[in-house]
Amino acid sequence: MEILVCVKQVPDDSVKIGLNSSGKPAVDGVTMVANAFDTYALEMATRLKEANEGTITVVAIGPEKAKDALKSCLAVGASKAYIVNEDGLGDMDSLTTGYTLSKAVAKIEELNGAKFDIIFCGKETTDCTTGMVGAQLAERLGIGCVTGIVDIELKDGGISVKQETEEGYNVVETSLPAVVTVNKPAYDPRYPTMKSKMAARKIPIGEISKADLGVEDDKIVPSVKVISLSEPPKKQAGVKINEKTFEDTMAKAMEILKDAKVF
Amino acid sequence: MDNCIFVVMETAEGVIKNVGLEMITPAKEIAAAKSLKTVAVVLGKNLAETAKQAANYGADAVITVELNSDYSSDEYAFAVAEICKKYNPEAVFIGATQNGKDLAPRVAVKLNTGCASDVTGIKMGDDGKIHFTCPVYGGTILAENVIDTLPQMATIRGGVFKKCEPAESTAEIINENITPENVKTKIVDVVKEISESVNLEDAEVIVAGGRGMGSAENFSLVKELADVLGGVVGATRAPIESGWISRAHQIGQSGKIVAPKLYIACGISGATQHVTGMVGSDYIVAINKDEDAPIFDVANVGIVGNVMQVIPEMINEIKKLRA
Repeated sequence: MEILVCVKQVPDDSVKIGLNSSGKPAVDGVTMVANAFDTYALEMATRLKEANEGTITVVAIGPEKAKDALKSCLAVGASKAYIVNEDGLGDMDSLTTGYTLSKAVAKIEELNGAKFDIIFCGKETTDCTTGMVGAQLAERLGIGCVTGIVDIELKDGGISVKQETEEGYNVVETSLPAVVTVNKPAYDPRYPTMKSKMAARKIPIGEISKADLGVEDDKIVPSVKVISLSEPPKKQAGVKINEKTFEDTMAKAMEILKDAKVF
Repeated sequence: MDNCIFVVMETAEGVIKNVGLEMITPAKEIAAAKSLKTVAVVLGKNLAETAKQAANYGADAVITVELNSDYSSDEYAFAVAEICKKYNPEAVFIGATQNGKDLAPRVAVKLNTGCASDVTGIKMGDDGKIHFTCPVYGGTILAENVIDTLPQMATIRGGVFKKCEPAESTAEIINENITPENVKTKIVDVVKEISESVNLEDAEVIVAGGRGMGSAENFSLVKELADVLGGVVGATRAPIESGWISRAHQIGQSGKIVAPKLYIACGISGATQHVTGMVGSDYIVAINKDEDAPIFDVANVGIVGNVMQVIPEMINEIKKLRA
């Protein structure tokens, strides 16, 4: 079974990101990591591979530095990695990202000499959070897609997946090839070991340029344009109550809350 | 019906989801500025009565499409794209529900247009385009977006806009027959694990608990406080993974985004993944024994103390106040 996992390198989502003095997201100095939902996707893909045999390839679109995210994936289940160099691709929105990824899928299939059976994506990224790219990739490829899944198994030559819903889950079946986007499953992604990290370092990362993809220029013009960025209005500085005794703390808290007509 | 804005209505058992009716309000504002009609597109099963609802909440016209289920992606994406190709709307608004967020990106590809995601603000720009406010980086930054292609698509977050006052309407209702093609995925079973219906998005008061509650037994204090205040119980991921409460209560990155009038965070440290989901609340009270907990940075009132002491005392005080 040939599996592809699409990964985006994003700023660590446990860091609160505001705007810097030039009005851009203040991401300088923030550790870049593989998008959390993509790591869930990779873990699910790895478990599927371990249960059924197969090979996992990971792909990212990004700058040279995004190779770090791919290396971390190679240490926890993936055995091949490709980076699509973002040079010349310009600003991207979900639509152009889905299109570019569809071209990358075709290129990697050509390089690997095999078609992908299942393409895994995270259900959204933690930076842009549009949650659209996986479904748009599937549309471009003209194959089936199930979004927000928490479990997957092979069934009758296709897949049967659990798609999380508000009340529980749907069991959805589709033939292969297919795209799935992954929500947080019941388990956490595994950690690399020293040995798996060392092994991952030795795996070369394939480089794909804009020219290799054969993208049509008019299809990589983004439709969604960002006009301006702002920070939401700051909350009025709050009060923190920490008196010497519990009774004093509660008395003060209740007084403030009563005055504010909260209760 | 040239020159219109589509508001796509998701239904569940013949009832339109709230966000569908809410979206009529901003759609009508844009429509008024550009002399467009606001058209509700209602999809689902047994829609005869449902269509009337959309009309009564302010749509100028209603298009219904009868389909075999309340939602299935391939059928719905095909149907919405076909209706759009027939009527050429200037804009298409879809509720940012789980189904809506599954639907919108596919329709966008079929129509080769852009889509703004999880919109929390809509206004008409001087450039003649709709300006959409979209939260990014977990809501710590707001991006104002425009879409250069038509239709201008967006998924709109629930609870942001207020429904119009309903009134009897004589708006035209058009039934469209569409037979979906190219169906690749099939829902073979719908499993309801969570019987309670938890309406966090519409709640005015939410009392939420985190890891700091310590145990399932202690977590019941959160429920007690919520009951006293007539509120709804929320939770971070930890209590859900520990089995103290069901997933339906989760607030944050992998749960609901909420904006109640009052939010009380109990034993919640304030990781960005959670704060993302509740920072829009009008008034935030945080209770935590760690005085450096980041939750205090977003709280109007922070109470440094043990939840097991503070919550019972707070419940007593509120009962006294309301006696």
